[in-house]
Amino acid sequence: MSHPPVEDQPPPTTVFPARAIHTLDLTVPSGSAIAVKDGRFLALGKTDELVDVYGGTVDHSLADKVLLPGFVEAHSHKDTGGIWQFTYVGFEARRGPNGRLWRGCTTFDAVVDRLREADRLLDDPGEPLLAWGLDPIFWPGERFDRRQLDAVSTTRRIFVAHSNMHLATVNSALMEQEGIDPDTVAEGVPKDDSGWPTGELQEFPAMALAGQTFRSFFGRTQSDESVLMFGQAARNVGVTTVADLGTSNLLDEAVVQQWIDIADETFPMRAAMFHGALMSAPDGDEACAAAMVDLKRRSTDRVRFGNVKLLMDGSIQGGTARLRWPGYLHGGPNGIWLIAPEQAAERIGPYHRAGLLVHTHANGDQAVDALLDAFDQVQTANPLPDHRHTIQHCQMTTPGQYRRMKALGMCANVFSNHTWFWGDQHRAITVGPDRAARMNAARTALDIGVPLSMHSDSPVTPLGPLHVAWAAINRQTPKGEIMGEHERVTVAEAMHAVTMGAAWQLRMDDVIGSITPQKFADCAVLEADPFEVDPAELRDIPVWGTMSGGVLHQGSPQTDA
Amino acid sequence: MTPGSVRLPLTVIGGYLGAGKTTLLNHLLANPDGQRIAVLVNDFGEIDIDGRLLDSATDHVLRLANGCICCSVADNFAETLETVRGFAECIDRVVVEVSGVGQPHKVSQWGHSPGFSPDGVVVLVDPLSILNRAVDPYVGDTVVAQVAQADLVVISRTDLASVDELEATEAWLDGVTGATVLRAPLPTAVLLGPAFRPLDLDHFPPARKVNHGSVAGGPQHADHVTISRRLDGPISRPSIETWAQSRPGGVVRAKGLVRVNDRPNDRTVLQICGSSTMVSVDGPWDDGEDAVVAIALPGTPRAALVKWLNLLR
Ligand SMILES: Nc1nc2c(ncn2[C@@H]2O[C@H](COP(=O)(O)OP(=O)(O)O)[C@@H](O)[C@H]2O)c(=O)[nH]1
Ligand SMILES: [Mg+2]
Ligand SMILES: [Zn+2]
Repeated sequence: MSHPPVEDQPPPTTVFPARAIHTLDLTVPSGSAIAVKDGRFLALGKTDELVDVYGGTVDHSLADKVLLPGFVEAHSHKDTGGIWQFTYVGFEARRGPNGRLWRGCTTFDAVVDRLREADRLLDDPGEPLLAWGLDPIFWPGERFDRRQLDAVSTTRRIFVAHSNMHLATVNSALMEQEGIDPDTVAEGVPKDDSGWPTGELQEFPAMALAGQTFRSFFGRTQSDESVLMFGQAARNVGVTTVADLGTSNLLDEAVVQQWIDIADETFPMRAAMFHGALMSAPDGDEACAAAMVDLKRRSTDRVRFGNVKLLMDGSIQGGTARLRWPGYLHGGPNGIWLIAPEQAAERIGPYHRAGLLVHTHANGDQAVDALLDAFDQVQTANPLPDHRHTIQHCQMTTPGQYRRMKALGMCANVFSNHTWFWGDQHRAITVGPDRAARMNAARTALDIGVPLSMHSDSPVTPLGPLHVAWAAINRQTPKGEIMGEHERVTVAEAMHAVTMGAAWQLRMDDVIGSITPQKFADCAVLEADPFEVDPAELRDIPVWGTMSGGVLHQGSPQTDA
Repeated sequence: MTPGSVRLPLTVIGGYLGAGKTTLLNHLLANPDGQRIAVLVNDFGEIDIDGRLLDSATDHVLRLANGCICCSVADNFAETLETVRGFAECIDRVVVEVSGVGQPHKVSQWGHSPGFSPDGVVVLVDPLSILNRAVDPYVGDTVVAQVAQADLVVISRTDLASVDELEATEAWLDGVTGATVLRAPLPTAVLLGPAFRPLDLDHFPPARKVNHGSVAGGPQHADHVTISRRLDGPISRPSIETWAQSRPGGVVRAKGLVRVNDRPNDRTVLQICGSSTMVSVDGPWDDGEDAVVAIALPGTPRAALVKWLNLLR
């Protein structure tokens, strides 16, 4: 018996007219509509022409929107979503992935009120109250400690992480339960005049004294919910692809499967997953590289494996980045190495030889020197013409270093948001106004010809490429200083950096980064045109949402708490 | 003994790349001096794991991914320690190898974690390369900070270094650290402290000689002196201060679990590692015996040690 022939249902074509479309692809003339089929861009043109040629239906829902290629955040972390499971008590207002506006807590009372409200919402008295974002730097001379938290609860454990995630403040109930008392002699546990710990726990070993509560806080990235919230957060700001830069242990099969399962075609985001090899290469780098090569084959349209993250130094604001002479303006000791300079080539080599993409964190200029020495060795021993290895942050990278990067074929992902979030501190405290004016030198990188992207490092700063671009274009600090006018970039350059520039560094420019037929139909859907608004107001452009693989994802409705 | 009543001593081994940390760990595993030692390292490839890591009777090895303990990426280390704590019944102590550019003193702060107690920062120094490393533009400050914050500095490769090199290294160390400086090879009990548990004192008769094991390739060392004393009951706080201040030369390690008469219901820990002396309270008294054990360099007069321990009263 023969089967009846199966009727081939051609997948439907949808034509989306828009107010303006910026393809960021010079070979694709700008049109007034896009045709989408099979999750990919089919063609660009006028609505009538597209319908004539390709058939299908017209979807008018984007008729008054401006379309750009979906933004690509090339340096972020999974906690971008997961952190919002906890109560935000930061100084600046922020919006969570569900669209809720969290007003800034600008006084001690505001922090206490916010925590009281969260305490009321918890049913189980045994469940700790976890909060984040506290920044006592805004209350110089006053001490926020367990006394304020005891006013929230004397029975429930409370753990409040500071905005830098290196400190926390806990209440007396937690201290009692974990035995943090006058006998505690650990460093990073300051005591008051009575000999009792104040409740502030400085750095990880001290924070870990908070026991299970500490581990629940820092174990947040394990949950499915945190991945889902990451996707929401991305969609709300026009991001359709993120790089998860070393947050997830990809030698753990459960983590890999979690991403593959969650990132189905209904998920609004693609992710380039980077394995944090500095922390997790228990059998050595060769074995880790082999595992990553195997894992690469399990990549899907939405989750890419086969990338590795390493770190050379710490952060500038934390005083842990490695600086060249003359070091920190504040006179503090030079920072820390996370990989010994002489070992860097040995650590990178196995991944490079395996054809994997290596992105390495280097903030300070001395760290970049050491890293360039290492890549020089690695490339000389095993030249790969198109490796796209990238230096992450590049905050103090000099013109000479950019020339070496160009010669070695390396890419730069610059931490442009720093000019806004720490610009005034860099001018006054860490490096001084002169070096600050040369930080995050996007203009120099472009002029020298180093492939460029720029990032938020969310949740270190909020996810949002329009803000990142705004920072690189304007280089303005909160105090109104312009931090190095000569390093400003144009709107077109910034838009390229957060789309094609990032896609290139993730080796995904063949499928994302521009509105180009055959690429995935990923768009940022905006309410105003970045190329038309005053560049000083770029960050204020409302984002409607995204299109991901041809499917529209409207951003969370914005609500005020 | 109820589970968790004894804190696991956590000793940190630091020193620049190639200083001999892993070699020393393997030596400790091969010569555990009756102690069941768990080691935490970043890279298992170099460790001679053959079941010695844990009590071989349990017939399994504790392997921990995410064991990295560099200071800025350390949140995972809490999980690692929690896992180790789950094995507290079958190990006596933990030794952590810090990365060659890590700061061992900072890592040792993890020793305050629930269920552990910090037990010394031992930093290895390679006499053949340290003087060059110390002026290296990339890592000089790191190397100096490592030794500056050590309790005990151990000079490795004493089999390869000339007398001049050893003396030059010691002279340099003298200028940058207050730590006790010793030459390898050293017995396990000096590196890690005496195998001391409150209820185990019978296994350590007074004035017992320490087992010898030597670091690979090193010459045999002379005998270190171990002396222990049981106390009759709670001692006075001023006597502890006197004791701490009149330590005889040659004492490199000591440990006491005692009651103090102003806190008779708590277990006070006296601890010496190299240059550091620490007095802390780590929990309620557990009906063990009040006792102190000290280890001193070969040739240290026993009479001086007896007299010193007798100051605790
Ligand atoms: N001759 C000799 N070689 C040693 C000694 N200690 C370490 N080594 C060698 O020095 C090299 C580096 O030692 P390793 O323990 O791996 O150093 P680590 O980087 O501090 O862990 C290895 O080849 C060891 O065999 C020693 O005391 N004498
Ligand atoms: Mg080693
Ligand atoms: Zn990051």
